[in-house]
Amino acid sequence: MLFERVLYPFDMRKASLGVKPYVLKLKEAGCKEVHMLYVLLPSEWGFVAKEEYDSEDKIEALRGAIDDGYVDGLIRIFRRMKEIAEEFEASGIKTRIVLIPGELDETIGYYSKEYGIKLVALGITDESLSFFRVGKVLDIIKAVGSPILIVKSPEEDGAKGLE
Amino acid sequence: MPLFEKTLYSTDFSPLAEVALDYVKKLKEAGEKEVVVVHVVDDLSIELPEGADLLNEKELYKILPEVDQEYVTSLIERLEAVKKILEDEGLNVKLYLKYGNIPKQIVEVAKQEKVRLIVMGAHGKGLLTEILLGSVSTDVIRNAECPVLIVKRREE
Ligand SMILES: Nc1ncnc2c1ncn2[C@@H]1O[C@H](COP(=O)(O)OP(=O)(O)OP(=O)(O)O)[C@@H](O)[C@H]1O
Ligand SMILES: [Mg+2]
Repeated sequence: MLFERVLYPFDMRKASLGVKPYVLKLKEAGCKEVHMLYVLLPSEWGFVAKEEYDSEDKIEALRGAIDDGYVDGLIRIFRRMKEIAEEFEASGIKTRIVLIPGELDETIGYYSKEYGIKLVALGITDESLSFFRVGKVLDIIKAVGSPILIVKSPEEDGAKGLE
Repeated sequence: MPLFEKTLYSTDFSPLAEVALDYVKKLKEAGEKEVVVVHVVDDLSIELPEGADLLNEKELYKILPEVDQEYVTSLIERLEAVKKILEDEGLNVKLYLKYGNIPKQIVEVAKQEKVRLIVMGAHGKGLLTEILLGSVSTDVIRNAECPVLIVKRREE
């Protein structure tokens, strides 16, 4: 099944929401499972133990080890993803939400291999294709073995990571 | 939502482009109705104007040297074969055989035809078989206005 298991890297920007209607539509072409992945970039999050944070409990367990503000931030991200996941679930697509620390391309590459992902759906902005940043997107494309759907949104909403 | 209603399939007739065709077929289940199939030629022995339409401009064909005529004829046959495959799936098909800069022409046809999605391989006939992302795909990703589906290999 070509679109059975989709990886949806999510970064809280408007552009990553652009992907959602496509994933929902792919249900008709056999999409059964969506994995929403937020990658915790070391530059933004400092050192977080390398684990798959797929529940609020796992995130809460970080209290003490890392700054409380960070933990609150992670919980907010998790809940935001959960809201979106509910839309997938409501249309019959099983959804996993997970936060993983690491570099973007490596983590997406690792995850798609590990979980037998059939399609990576990437929401990007024109800005991410600008001369200075296009390398990031291309690195992700190069890092995964599965097909990649690239959905472009025209404008950047200014939000950096999470607010 | 008609997200996949009209798609563009760009092919250099390489094995990976053929894999991409499986995805084009599959998208019918998600509402795809029409497929615009595009091949761009940039290696004729004479120069033609950028964007020349080798399928419909019969005058153009006549001025081509014989080797080029044979080449163009063989490409048209290959496009017709793709058309047949997609029509057998119940899809409407429109063919393009363009002359010029490859990614530029793909993006141009996508715009003119107002397609909702471009489907193509991550690499193609390029000599470096281990290449991860070809120059045509890279350029199309950068310049297309619609979403792009990049196919990397046949599903195991
Ligand atoms: N002449 C063409 N006409 C239409 N589509 C093409 C053409 N050339 C390439 N493509 C599309 O682009 C995809 C990627 O091919 P690309 O040419 O980028 O890779 P490559 O040939 O391996 O590398 P390069 O051309 O940079 O040496 C192909 O799978 C095909 O879908
Ligand atoms: Mg090529």
